[in-house]
Amino acid sequence: MEAVDLGQLLSAQQDRRIRVIENLLRGKKTVSTLYWGQRYRLLPLLNLDKHLQRGGLDTAIQDLQHQGWVTVDPEQATLRLTSTGEQQLADQAYYRPVTTAQWVNLDLVAARQRLLLAVQVTSQFAHSTARYYPLATDQETRRAVRVWFHRRKSPALASQLGAALTASLQQLPQQTAGVVTDQFTGFGQPGLTSEQLAVTHQWTTWEVRLMQVDGVVQIAQDARQADHPLHELLGPLWQVPISRSAQATLAAVEAGGDLARVATVRKIKLSTVREHLLEAAIMSPLRDFPYDQVLPETVRQDLASALHGSIDDWQYTALPTALQAQYDFFYFRLYAIWRIKEATT
Amino acid sequence: MEPLTTSLKRVFGFDHFRSGQVQALASLEAGADTLAILPTGAGKTLIYQLYGYRHPGCVLIVSPLLSLMNDQVNRMRMSGFKRAAAITSQTPFGERLSILNHLNQLQFLFLSPEMLAQPQMLARLQQIQLSLLVVDEAHCIVQWGPDFRPEYLLLGAIREKLRQPLTLMLTATAGQQTRAEIAKQLRSQPQVVTESVNRPNIYLDVENVADEATKQSRLQDLVAHLRRPGVVYFSSKQQATDTALWLRDTTGVTAAAYHAGLDAEDRFKIQQQFMAGQLDVICATSAFGMGIDKDDVRFVIHYHLPADLESYAQEIGRAGRDGQPSVAILLYAPGDEQLPLALGQANRPEVETIERYYAHPQNFAADDPQIQLLAFYREHGISEEAVKRLFASREKERNHALAQMLAYVRTETCLRATWLQAFDETSPAHTAQCCAPGNVALDLTALGLTRQAPAPEPEEMPWQERLARLF
Ligand SMILES: [Zn+2]
Repeated sequence: MEAVDLGQLLSAQQDRRIRVIENLLRGKKTVSTLYWGQRYRLLPLLNLDKHLQRGGLDTAIQDLQHQGWVTVDPEQATLRLTSTGEQQLADQAYYRPVTTAQWVNLDLVAARQRLLLAVQVTSQFAHSTARYYPLATDQETRRAVRVWFHRRKSPALASQLGAALTASLQQLPQQTAGVVTDQFTGFGQPGLTSEQLAVTHQWTTWEVRLMQVDGVVQIAQDARQADHPLHELLGPLWQVPISRSAQATLAAVEAGGDLARVATVRKIKLSTVREHLLEAAIMSPLRDFPYDQVLPETVRQDLASALHGSIDDWQYTALPTALQAQYDFFYFRLYAIWRIKEATT
Repeated sequence: MEPLTTSLKRVFGFDHFRSGQVQALASLEAGADTLAILPTGAGKTLIYQLYGYRHPGCVLIVSPLLSLMNDQVNRMRMSGFKRAAAITSQTPFGERLSILNHLNQLQFLFLSPEMLAQPQMLARLQQIQLSLLVVDEAHCIVQWGPDFRPEYLLLGAIREKLRQPLTLMLTATAGQQTRAEIAKQLRSQPQVVTESVNRPNIYLDVENVADEATKQSRLQDLVAHLRRPGVVYFSSKQQATDTALWLRDTTGVTAAAYHAGLDAEDRFKIQQQFMAGQLDVICATSAFGMGIDKDDVRFVIHYHLPADLESYAQEIGRAGRDGQPSVAILLYAPGDEQLPLALGQANRPEVETIERYYAHPQNFAADDPQIQLLAFYREHGISEEAVKRLFASREKERNHALAQMLAYVRTETCLRATWLQAFDETSPAHTAQCCAPGNVALDLTALGLTRQAPAPEPEEMPWQERLARLF
C-alpha cells in the first residue's frame, strides 16, 4: 500500500488508529477492530490484504508524514489528515470501488481464485487445448472448479460464460472491466499481473486490487441467479459476516436466554457471550439484532441521559460512578452501536 | 518387462531418448543408485517419470525450492501423471492431511527437505512402498547444506531409515569434489551418468567495468542492442524489481522481475508471458530458471558475481537450448566478490558464537537464523567440535569456489577452458566463436546477436473483444 492508498482511508475530521486499519486488512476480527472499523466506515477492508505484515503500513505513514499530509499522535498511534493532505487527496483522481456494500458478505479470496481458474479451464476447453499449465491454486479451489466443470461442461459453456461476464463487467466502470479482463489467464493470454496493470495505466497496485475486487463481487452478485453459469461455483462463497460461534450465541439469546444462562448452556464465559453479541450487532443490520431484548428501553434511557456529543468522544470511564456500577462496558458499547445503526438506517 | 523405448513411446509419444536419459534409466533398472549429471534441458524429469511408470510404489522427490514444487506437480499432471502431490511448509494444513491420508495412492510425491526431516512424515513414509527416491538439484547438498538448509545433511540418515530405497541424484553440474560430497552425504556409491557440461553454442563474455554506474549503463546498452529474449540475473530481489522498471522506462523493452517473493499467481503469469514471447527481458534472482522450458533465450547477463562456477553454469545453461548462437555475459566491477562473501557469511556463526551457544543454549533468541541453525545441529546430536569443523571446512569450500569464480573472471586466454577445467573436462580449442575474456571486446555483430527488428505494437482493442477472444 502506498501513501495515497492509505491517505484514502483517513479523515481530517476523525483520528484513526493505525492498528485498526492494519487489523482490518489482515482480517483480524476482534470486537474492538470491528467496532472502530465501523466508526471509520472501513469495514469493507476486512481481509483485503491477508499477507500484510505487522507494521506493513509504516513506510506509507512515513511518506504521508513527510509530505505533511497527516499528523501522527504517537501516544494513541492515530493518524489524522491535515487540510493540505485532505485537499491534495481530493484533487487526485483515485479509484472509487462501487460494490463495497457487499464485500464483507463474500469470501473474496476464494471467489477470485475460483473465478480465475474457471475462466482458464473454460477458455482452454473452448480452444480444445488438452495440455496447458493450470494456475497454481490451493486444493479446495481445484476441487470446486473440477466439480463445477464436470457438471457444466458443454459446447455452449464458453459462450455462456463469455456472455455472463460481459454482462457483469458492463455494469462497472470501463477501466475496471478492462482490468478484470486483462488479469484473466486463458487461451493465448497469460494474463497481466496487478503490478503490470498498475504501471501501464499509472494507477497504484492497490487501486488495481480494488478494481479486481469490484469485478469479482459484481460477477458473484450476478451469479446468484440460478441460471448463471457460475452459480454453483460462486454461490457457496456468500457468507454471513459473523463467526459461527457468534451466530450460535446470538441464536441462543434470541431463543430467550438471559446472558448468564446462555453462557452456562454453551459452556463459554459470560465475557465471550458479550463479545459474540457485540460482533453480531456490529455486523448485522439494525432489524436483525434483538436490541429490545438485550438493551431494553430503560437501559437506553439511563445511558442517553449521561452520554452527549460525538460518539467517538464517549468514554466509559467518564460515566457517573453509579451508572458504571449498574452497567458493564458491554452495555455502553452496545448502546453506541445501536445509536450508530439508528443514525444510518 | 517391456523395453524402455516402448515405455517411452507409450507414455510420452517419443521415439528416442535424449542422451543421458537412457543411460540413467538403464542404471536404475539394473538396481544401481545413480548420479545423473545432465545439462539443463536434457529432460531429467522424464527419467523418474518413466521409472515411476514402470514400477509399482511411489516415487519420492526431494526438491529444494519451495516455490517451484507446485509448478513441478502441475507439469506432472500436464504430462498425464495425475497422482502427484507436493507438501511444503506452505501447504495448508487440511491439504497436507488429505495428501497424507491418501499417500499409498500417490505415484509421485514432492517434499521439501524440512518436511522430510519431520518424524511424523518419516513414519508415514516408512509405511508405504517407495519405488525410487529422487534428490533433485543434488548439488544443493553441497552449496546450501551446512549453512542454509541443514536438513539436506540428514538425507543420508533419512535414506537409511527408509531402508535405503533405490536413489536417483540429479544435478546439472557437479565437479569431482561435489560428486564425492553428494555420494558421501547420501551414504551411497552411485553409478555416475554424465554428459559434458560444455555448451558450444553459448558464447562466453566477461566485461570489466569501472564501477556500479558504468555497470548500469553497460547493462542498459547491452539490453538495448542484444537479440532477445534474455535473462538478467541479480543477487537481490529489490534490484531485480527496480532494474526491470528502469530498463522498461529507459530502453523501451518489455521487462518483468521474477523472484521467490512474488505470489504464485504473479509467478505463473510472468513465466507464461515469457514463454509466450510477450516479454523481452526477465530480471531474475536464482529462483528463476529451474522448470522454465524456453528454447530461444538468446542472452543471459549476470549483473552480480555468482558464488561459484556451478551456479553460474546452471544459470547460463538457460540460454540457447535450441542450439542457436547465444551469449552469456558477466559484468564485473572491482570488489564485486564482496557481495557473495557477505551473503556466505551472513548465515555462518562465528566460532565464539558456537561456543557460547553450546554452553548456554537457553540464553539465545530462537528467531535468529544463525541460532536456528545451531539449534538444529544440537538437537540432532551433533557435537560442538563437529559443528566448528563443519563451518570451518564449509568456509574453506566456499572460498575455494569463489576463488574459482574469480579465476574465471580474470582469465585472459580462454574462458571456456577455465570453466570446463573446474569440472575436470578438457575444452575444445579456442576459436572466434568461443569467448571474449575481460581484455577482449564483445562484437555482437560478428556473432549475429544484434537486436532484430521490433515487432509492431498490437492494436488496442476494447475490453469486450479481448474478453470474447478468451472464449
Ligand atoms: Zn575461448
